[in-house]
Amino acid sequence: MVMALRRLCRYARPRPPLPLAAIQSPRPSPESAPPPLSGLSSLLPLSPLLRADRTLASSSLYSLFEGSYTATRNRCLTTQAWVDAPTGEVVEVPLAQTGEGIAECELLKWFVKEGEEVEEFQPLCEVQSDKATIEITSRYKGKILQILFVPGDIVKVGETLLKIIAEDAQSPLTSECHEDATSLNSDLCESDSQRSSRKGEDFKGVLSTPFVRHLAKQYGLNINDIQGTGIDGRVLKEDVLNYAASKGIQEERPSLSQVNVGEPGLLKEGKAFHMHMLDEKCYEDTTIPLRGFQRSMVKSMTMSAKVPHFHYLEEINCDALIELKAAFQNENTAPNVKHTFLPFFIKSLSMALSKYPLLNSSFNEATTEVILKGCHNIGVAMATTYGLVVPNIKKVQSLSILEITKELSRLQQMASNNKLSSEDITGGTITISNIGAIGGKFGSPLLNLPEVAIIAIGRIQKLPRFDDDEIVYPASVANVTIGADHRVVDGATVARFCNEWKLLVEKPELLLLHMR
Amino acid sequence: MILHRVRDGLPLMNLVSLRAVPILQQLHLEERLLRSSSDNWCIINDGTNRPNIVMGISGRPSELIDLKSVLRDRVPVIRRFSGGGTVIVDDGTIFVTFICNKDAIPGLQPYPHPLMSWTGQLYKDVLHGFGDFHLQENEIFLYYMYASLTVLDTYFTDYAIGSRKFGGNAQSITKNRWVHHTSFLWDYDIKNMEYLKIPSRAPKYRSARPHVEFLCRMTEYVPSRSTFIERTIASLGNHFSVKPIHQDRVIDPSNTLHSSSKLLTRQELEEAYSSLCEKLHIAAISV
Repeated sequence: MVMALRRLCRYARPRPPLPLAAIQSPRPSPESAPPPLSGLSSLLPLSPLLRADRTLASSSLYSLFEGSYTATRNRCLTTQAWVDAPTGEVVEVPLAQTGEGIAECELLKWFVKEGEEVEEFQPLCEVQSDKATIEITSRYKGKILQILFVPGDIVKVGETLLKIIAEDAQSPLTSECHEDATSLNSDLCESDSQRSSRKGEDFKGVLSTPFVRHLAKQYGLNINDIQGTGIDGRVLKEDVLNYAASKGIQEERPSLSQVNVGEPGLLKEGKAFHMHMLDEKCYEDTTIPLRGFQRSMVKSMTMSAKVPHFHYLEEINCDALIELKAAFQNENTAPNVKHTFLPFFIKSLSMALSKYPLLNSSFNEATTEVILKGCHNIGVAMATTYGLVVPNIKKVQSLSILEITKELSRLQQMASNNKLSSEDITGGTITISNIGAIGGKFGSPLLNLPEVAIIAIGRIQKLPRFDDDEIVYPASVANVTIGADHRVVDGATVARFCNEWKLLVEKPELLLLHMR
Repeated sequence: MILHRVRDGLPLMNLVSLRAVPILQQLHLEERLLRSSSDNWCIINDGTNRPNIVMGISGRPSELIDLKSVLRDRVPVIRRFSGGGTVIVDDGTIFVTFICNKDAIPGLQPYPHPLMSWTGQLYKDVLHGFGDFHLQENEIFLYYMYASLTVLDTYFTDYAIGSRKFGGNAQSITKNRWVHHTSFLWDYDIKNMEYLKIPSRAPKYRSARPHVEFLCRMTEYVPSRSTFIERTIASLGNHFSVKPIHQDRVIDPSNTLHSSSKLLTRQELEEAYSSLCEKLHIAAISV
């Protein structure tokens, strides 16, 4: 019977909140007070951590606890070193605070240096954008890891200015959390001892691990309010999360390293948490504020969508074009130039526009006037890492295909380095999108206002077609979609224009006929 | 900020009216008020005592001024604490500066563009009826892919009547405060303009015009200086509760704390000139 009791005692012994071996070995002796035999729960009063009003063998238990408390304390001190190590993630701070419409700034001076600790809202540097000098302040509390520009450099909006090890990249709450983390462990030790020494006082604290307490603090919750579902009413991580959810608190992302910090000894449990954290990170939403080209795309597409568009599809046979390109390549007049299809499409488009100038026009809604543009400034849509840009080639009607090829190459180079000038991107009169270079057969492109037409060229595919002798042969065909402003242009005009263009592409020798 | 509200609910603004105060002293005052005061201020300086060239914080003398004539005629050159371009100021210039807390004007974001809009609207009210006042756009710093949007969303930097500029602006924005200062061309001496080079980075509307064709004199549009100044103060009264402060309470030439605006020494100018000459000489040889 006593043996059974002993065994029960062992099982009933509560797991300590801290990794302690000390508390395990000196067991409370059950013989000194006959424990009621009505089940496990009744053995709980033996737990030194729960009952403050123990009379039986209290002195021995107390001293036992004292001993274990000391061990805990020591343990607290060692974990403190862990907590002091940099715990935050490295954050790249971009130049972003200078307001809309400004593309770049000159860095004037730094107020901080590498290795320095900074507070939230502390000024980091001063930049100049045209007429204004502006102080950039820090969004994070942390330590400067690396400074990427020197005074005098021109920084583009969006470029990373410096890197900070943010103590917690999330919210101001957490800076307070970090300070408390070091004292969390010692708090727990103290409150436990206080609990046991206080007699008849209300039990104030709840059982939980330092990590869970930290988590509760991050959510701004009082851990005492949370109902624990763990052993001995212990508050677990799930309890905190559920409570937070019930309170409708937005979930924040605790950094991975904090998990390690809070669980130095309970490695197994810690690891489980660690994996859980990783998983959670994969499923979280990411917010991307739109800036620069992406932002202007929002505006321009919104405007464009208000215009009544219609779309016209046509198929163009590119066999002759392919032969022509091969011929250009073989002749090798300009060795550094790579010949592609696009310049040819552009030149033939310009020739067709000469016959149908309405498609190279601009509509003024206010005055209900159509302005037939004199220059064929053909815009070419380019997908860059910075977003969609449409630089244009000026006066295509007076350029040769070789000149168009070179200018196109120059614009592509500038676009990919985000070095297009405003001259390059303004003044366009019609736009071509070679979306086929990436993929796709059909499109319904939106107009690039105030232009009235836009052309999307799909991928050139090899498809079976009939030749003049009604024999099937493999033809290279590209689908083109022409989008047009139906307030200005009607279907018949677009159809005729497209026929003209198609003819020039399919029979390039006709270009010679019209060449100036 | 509640401390600054008076009974009619408008924030308080201290007004300092100066006359012919040296521009360097004015700049020191402004910077000191920006960095060490928590009140809102308006400084009006009706003309400055002698011609000075004032460059922005990162101005390079060799690019902006005609060093040869500046050295010959000993024109003082100052580098101020705010950004922006180069001006030559004299007794025909009227200076108006606003120094405010970030939240002084409800809804106004402390960024260059909004500040420019707000001040532009203020001066539009001031000059209502005297001329076709508007804000002139600067396209250089815009990166928009669609041409039409440059009309919708331009960045205004100058005050103009017709297509001629009569006021130049500069700003400095700190963590909690901002300063927006303007030098108005009440009148100017054409000879003085020759000390300045035509900037290589200029707004499109300038179209390489020489200073004469690009600028205009306010005196041709507004009856008197005091009309302009009084109307400015009145217009301010729509946003602030304006309280005049005597200049003796604020001007403190001995206080050089927070004074990053500085007068360039003759030596610095000479060095700039000689290195410029070297560059030109070398360039000439290599050609």
